[in-house]
Amino acid sequence: MMSAIAAAGQPQQMEGGIAQLPIGRVGIWWFLASEIMVFGGLLGSYILSRIAAGGWELERAHVNTGLAAVNTLILVTSSFTIVKAHSAVEAEQHTRARHFLLFTVLLGLMFLCNKGYEYSVELAHGFTPATGLFWSYYYAMTGLHGLHVLIGVAVNFVLWTLAGGRGWATVQQRVEYAGLYWHFVDVVWIFLFPLLYLA
Amino acid sequence: MNRAERPPVSYFTIWVWLVILIAVGLLFVALPISKLAAVAVIFTAATIKAGLVVRHYMHLRAQPVMLYAIAGVPVMLAVFMVLALVPDIAWRP
Repeated sequence: MMSAIAAAGQPQQMEGGIAQLPIGRVGIWWFLASEIMVFGGLLGSYILSRIAAGGWELERAHVNTGLAAVNTLILVTSSFTIVKAHSAVEAEQHTRARHFLLFTVLLGLMFLCNKGYEYSVELAHGFTPATGLFWSYYYAMTGLHGLHVLIGVAVNFVLWTLAGGRGWATVQQRVEYAGLYWHFVDVVWIFLFPLLYLA
Repeated sequence: MNRAERPPVSYFTIWVWLVILIAVGLLFVALPISKLAAVAVIFTAATIKAGLVVRHYMHLRAQPVMLYAIAGVPVMLAVFMVLALVPDIAWRP
């Protein structure tokens, strides 16, 4: 009975070809694979629609490249802070890990604030999702990505809160999984940025 | 995270490279070169950035091949979908 309770606190191990990995890590990679299909389909259809429409140069001239570049820097930096949080967890430096989790949450919120400001300016200029196909894609892709950022911020905030209260036993492995998700959100933006703002 | 999963260079060094690659993308947009060349550089930089994050921050470099397959197959499917449909879009009558 005691061993069963003790085992419940530990990550389960996969049996078979990837036997050495915690089952949660494999699970989060499967989840990310499904997310790749979602964003891959969306980005792919955007590329094809853009080729078909001849480039959307006029529409693209109205997006705020400077603010998007700042947001790229923010997300890349948040990837650094969450991997440092994971690293600190592994080294059992709990206070340091909490600080890095909090930095990640704040950077995620900064990204969302910038995106909200960007939306407000674009909407004020009359660029709504109904303005044209480019703007439909723009709001769909950045909106879906923003939703993922919001979820990531919420997850990281919950981990930060739990880590301060009930201790590290419940959150140690989850910091790694939350980090994998957060990095994926960063990678999606790494491709959205050139597709929507630069190319 | 075991020793093998740690990157060969520090996380900060990788972050510096990511920032440099962001700057490269922005620089090539501003340079007076052909659009095609700029797009090629921008997306090469983006792919390298994504590779750095996935390999070092997500520690995929130290994972079994099966994890590469889980992540890589959907990427290949998405790329294949675009490549397979480009001729229909680009050379339609």
